[in-house]
Amino acid sequence: MKFHWFAEVTYPHLPADFRARGTPSWVTMPASLADPVKCGEMYRMFIRLMQQADRDGFDGLAVNEHHQTSFAVTPSPNLLAASLAGSTQNAAILVIGDSLALYNPPTRVAEEMAYLDCLSGGRLIAGFVFGTSMDSTFAYGFPPVEVRDRFHEARQLILRAWAERDPFVFNGRFTKLRYVNIWPRPVQAPPPIWVPGSGSVETWDLVTDHDYCYGHLSFSGLYSAKPMVDAYWEYVAQRGGNLNPHRMAFTQLICCADTDAAAEAQYAEAVRYFYRNNVQDPFLAPPGYTSLKSVQAIAANRKKGESKLSPEDRVRASKGEMSFWEYDEKGYIIAGTPERVRQRLRELATDLRIGQLIACLHMGDLPEDVAAHNTRLVGREVAPHLRDLWADQPDHWTPAVCRARAAELVA
Amino acid sequence: MTPAILTLGAARVRVWQFGAPHPGQPPLLYLHGFEAHPGPAPFLIRLARQQEVWAPEHPGYGESSGFESIHDVTDLVLHYRRLIEHWGVGRVDLMGHSLGGMFAAEIAALCPHLVRRLVLVDAYGLWLDAHPAPDPFVMPAEALARAKFADPGWAGREPTTLPEDAAARAIARTGNLAAATKFMWPVADRGLARRLPFVHAPTLVVHGAADGLVPPAHAEAFARLIPAARVAMIPNAGHLPMVEQEDAFLAAVADPPR
Repeated sequence: MKFHWFAEVTYPHLPADFRARGTPSWVTMPASLADPVKCGEMYRMFIRLMQQADRDGFDGLAVNEHHQTSFAVTPSPNLLAASLAGSTQNAAILVIGDSLALYNPPTRVAEEMAYLDCLSGGRLIAGFVFGTSMDSTFAYGFPPVEVRDRFHEARQLILRAWAERDPFVFNGRFTKLRYVNIWPRPVQAPPPIWVPGSGSVETWDLVTDHDYCYGHLSFSGLYSAKPMVDAYWEYVAQRGGNLNPHRMAFTQLICCADTDAAAEAQYAEAVRYFYRNNVQDPFLAPPGYTSLKSVQAIAANRKKGESKLSPEDRVRASKGEMSFWEYDEKGYIIAGTPERVRQRLRELATDLRIGQLIACLHMGDLPEDVAAHNTRLVGREVAPHLRDLWADQPDHWTPAVCRARAAELVA
Repeated sequence: MTPAILTLGAARVRVWQFGAPHPGQPPLLYLHGFEAHPGPAPFLIRLARQQEVWAPEHPGYGESSGFESIHDVTDLVLHYRRLIEHWGVGRVDLMGHSLGGMFAAEIAALCPHLVRRLVLVDAYGLWLDAHPAPDPFVMPAEALARAKFADPGWAGREPTTLPEDAAARAIARTGNLAAATKFMWPVADRGLARRLPFVHAPTLVVHGAADGLVPPAHAEAFARLIPAARVAMIPNAGHLPMVEQEDAFLAAVADPPR
């Protein structure tokens, strides 16, 4: 199994009573709560941590895109990716991803990703995302019913811009370009493509038909994901798709420490901060963003998982009202010694058929030294013990150069 | 009152028809608002005493289809042009409420030969910095009730084609609003202000004085931009004056624009 280092770049200095104030942390989040100088310190910290993750043997460094929120202060993931592409050696630069509908024209994505692939020497993974409703429909103002069509048109344009050797005309519905001829083209032809989703069947069709890596990027762990991910794999099988586990990415919060007691002492507050201060209401589900078919499928899958994770559990988790070990027991986090983390990750990855683990090793307002220790423990004492998982199956969804270097390091 | 389903190109259109043809009177084409078709609402039945009333359901709403081929407001205008031509009646009187008001004004501007008189009721379609309309897509139910009605006690009691069962109602309403986002998201302005001077039809701009969704100043702006228009402000009414003040509404529209 592959390990990718990730953190939502969460602003860590919100007032303790932020949640109680009843304002969302997205879209209309008061800008007065952000200190730009402290944002700079935070950005430098994440660059240091991800450079360390590269040295500690992680397979990828994951960055993502969100807008107008304290939950993830990374409006352009390509900027953070560029900081890493030029200052790391081995790990994939996992942009997961660019919200395609939001780039105008979308050749911007083709250009910037090509730049990243060149700068990193062919280490880019190209993640294409719809963007959350908060990002794409509220912050960027696209009608919810248009986001998917815009995404698909942009995806086709980007893939052609990478593939075609001569200038071409693109006459799309949303984008019209007389001369598409981006400079430079990526090193990889093309970079591996990942498309995360949240259970929409339309996305399942896309990743299955194109053999992309699918990502279930939730922060609610095994029990929340289980019915959805099982349904996904069944769907892939029915459609005659590729069942290789390396086609599945999953996010998991991990709190690793020298002892279980130390884990609780070091991470408990940060975990609560992370969940408590992510307030999406009323911007989560605008009409038309998710199709009726998918709304119904997602609701049915949620229902199936209620014996392990009740709606009340979900509410308490989102409000930061669970104890540290309850978060662990309910699957939201995997905490404890490297040995315990190994064992639980093996169960998780086996149960869900996950070949690409996106390990969230910093969360909320966690201090840098704890995140650095987490990175060291997971990179050096957890990941090497789980390399055997799915090792019998080829991984076409990480850059060849990264796989080769990982093999050299093991040898 | 059972609506008819008619086929128009690739689209299926559900249409309610009220009353019978009156000699020398063109039919009244009624275009519904952003939430749902009202069905056989009392105000429509009473309007049908003067002239035959046709009330189609917009593409993407309820049981009407064809939304996929509507890419923008021009496509929507052509959809209704095709419907009017399908009926073969020459001109119609056109009344549009809320989002239907935006559509009616667009049709009147782009197809003036099809519209004898125009009535706009609490119409969307303009943006005024000094009188911003709130975002109807994120309002909690209580806030929406206060914005929609002068008397919020009306909430949930207006005539509607939405199903009664709460879960089915939420799904159906979400489907309708999804279609509305095409024209109203993030701001319900698709350039109509530039086209209103091309409206030939005499126009009555009816507006609930307590409309919290489309501020009453929008009615004045419509009347300024349309060459032959006047405003009828309905007191003690919100976004649905034809429901909340049915008599006053019918009295206002009985005095036709000239």
